[in-house]
Amino acid sequence: MKSLQTYVVVLASIAIVTLVAILLRNTLTLANFTMIYLLLVLIVAISAGTIPASLSAIISFFCINFFLVPPYYSLLVADQREILDLVVFLIVAGLAGRLGSRVKQQANEAQQRAHEQALLYQLTRAFNQLVHPDGVYQTLTHVLQTDMRAVWVEILPMSTNSPTHDNGTVYYLLLQGGERIYATVSAAFDTPLTESQLALVNTCVSQAAMALQRIELSERAIKSKKFEEADKLKTAILQAVSHDLRTPITIIKSSASNLRQFHDQLSPQEEHEITETIELETDHLDRLVGNLLDMSRLQAGALSLNRRLNDLEEIAGDIAAQSWQRTRQERIKLCFPEDLPLVSSDYGLLRQAVSNIVDNSLRYEPADQQVEICGMIQGREAFIKIVNHGETISDADKANIMKPFYHGRDGHIGLGLPIAKGIIEAHQGRLWVEDTPGGGATFVLTLPLSEETSDEAKNTRRG
Amino acid sequence: MKQKILVVDDEPQIRRQLKIGLGGYGYEVWLAGNGNEALTLTAQHAPDMIVLDISLGSEPDGIEVCRRIREWSQAPIIMLSVHNEEKTKVTALHAGADDYITKPFGMEELHARILAILRRVTVEPGTGMKPEIVVGDLRIDLVNRMVYVENEEVHLTPTEYDLLRLLATHPGKVMTHKAILNAVWGSEYSEMDHYVRVFVNQLRKKLHENPARNVRYILNEPGVGYRFVMPK
Repeated sequence: MKSLQTYVVVLASIAIVTLVAILLRNTLTLANFTMIYLLLVLIVAISAGTIPASLSAIISFFCINFFLVPPYYSLLVADQREILDLVVFLIVAGLAGRLGSRVKQQANEAQQRAHEQALLYQLTRAFNQLVHPDGVYQTLTHVLQTDMRAVWVEILPMSTNSPTHDNGTVYYLLLQGGERIYATVSAAFDTPLTESQLALVNTCVSQAAMALQRIELSERAIKSKKFEEADKLKTAILQAVSHDLRTPITIIKSSASNLRQFHDQLSPQEEHEITETIELETDHLDRLVGNLLDMSRLQAGALSLNRRLNDLEEIAGDIAAQSWQRTRQERIKLCFPEDLPLVSSDYGLLRQAVSNIVDNSLRYEPADQQVEICGMIQGREAFIKIVNHGETISDADKANIMKPFYHGRDGHIGLGLPIAKGIIEAHQGRLWVEDTPGGGATFVLTLPLSEETSDEAKNTRRG
Repeated sequence: MKQKILVVDDEPQIRRQLKIGLGGYGYEVWLAGNGNEALTLTAQHAPDMIVLDISLGSEPDGIEVCRRIREWSQAPIIMLSVHNEEKTKVTALHAGADDYITKPFGMEELHARILAILRRVTVEPGTGMKPEIVVGDLRIDLVNRMVYVENEEVHLTPTEYDLLRLLATHPGKVMTHKAILNAVWGSEYSEMDHYVRVFVNQLRKKLHENPARNVRYILNEPGVGYRFVMPK
């Protein structure tokens, strides 16, 4: 249809030009006419291509000969020299037509290439941002359908549908990166693809394969990093087991065997001391094992939070009471505002986290001073500050004390603080350490406060 | 007559130590290594107290045994549990257990729990209730619904008073959040355990609790509920 229209327009334009030329044939010369027709042929060449241009050159030749060269309305030529003009016109028109259409074709190709390049650029950019293979498949399908006009695209073997389109041309392409074949793409088009279209489809598919390969490699890198960390932890646990766990076990064992062998020689005082040691070391061992379990649970991501709306002051109070029971001294001072809202948290785990930090702080607290546990609200977060007045922690230690198994200032196996950090981060909170004004360390932990929790708490209080 | 305690645990060493320890405190101790044995011994000997491990490593497990014993016996049951088992502890309490103790525990602690429960169950109904409860500086006048700390009157709202009375009349007994909500607020509130937290907090402030100096009347049972201190 389109080509028929083109020919009609071409013929009509020649007819109009010829009509005008007939009216003017007494005023203008043959040279003028050939120039006008040449222009027409050139325009046809640029806008419609080689064949319409050649056709219009030949028709023009006959029109000039028939209507404009005497004798009129005959193909005879009166003046022998005008034959030369006509032949030259035909050759020039033919060449101009070819030239014009080639320019047109080149322009078309350049445009097509620009389009392809834009498409590929867009595709590459889209692929680079994707982190999941499904995204790659979706994008590829989308591009083939919208930009390449595929009527139907399937990714095999993911797809379970069998081809349903049978009156088009179906292409099967491999999504292959390196040695690995990720999938097969099958795409159907209404008409067979030209070589350049096929090349473009192939480029899209290989870009997709590269994206899949990149995703696979980065996933593998993450996994191997996790393995590496787990491996490091395992080594550290083994070291801890061999050293830190053996110490209490050794004490318990030697105490028990002393008791068994020398029970008739021991004074009641000595016997009491030995049994007390066994109990204390057992508690110590229990705490160590608990910490190791918590740590491995945290590292394995196997910590499940039993979230409830909890009273932070209650948690702090528990810890303060526990400290009193251990030492019979008031080593902890609590400061909590009256209207501190309840915070969604796992009571047991949060208590463990705060207790670990408080234990650490108590170890460095001067005997005549108290560790403070303070609660407050700032913005959308609840804060718990654990303030100690001992030595200030060096910047190097600040960075390290939260790392598992860091042998800190006193040679304790460092698990308490990393566990606290892990627990708080599992609550979407943060933990960091600051200097206490006048010396000492202040641990600050935050817990997110949801609108619901604070409202709920207010309502409850009113009720 | 010696009081009889049935110890149920799948670990022979633990059974043995409990036999030595409880025997040392003057109880007659029976041992069971699994749930079925425990049910049989309970039926045959009607123990005054059952110490029951939650995880018996075989069917029926501790909670199931507890549930079955409760179908026909009111013998008090103390469950043995491990850390991080709050939900199991609550299940055990709702299945009819009277208390639980977390492993590892000291024999003194277990004995104190046993004594507290035996004291509660041996009190004849109607005779044991005193008109006044005194713990440390706290005095609760149950007749006039008055509460004093260091002889100074404390003004409590009706809900606060009901909560305190519920806890204080069950000294040493662990009360789950759900049980407290049912008793004080009504069963339709049984999922609102934060209510209990807010009211306990208010109550503690009014009673001038000071955990840092171990001045405490209401003790936390993390993830489970609360326990009123045993009067000395």
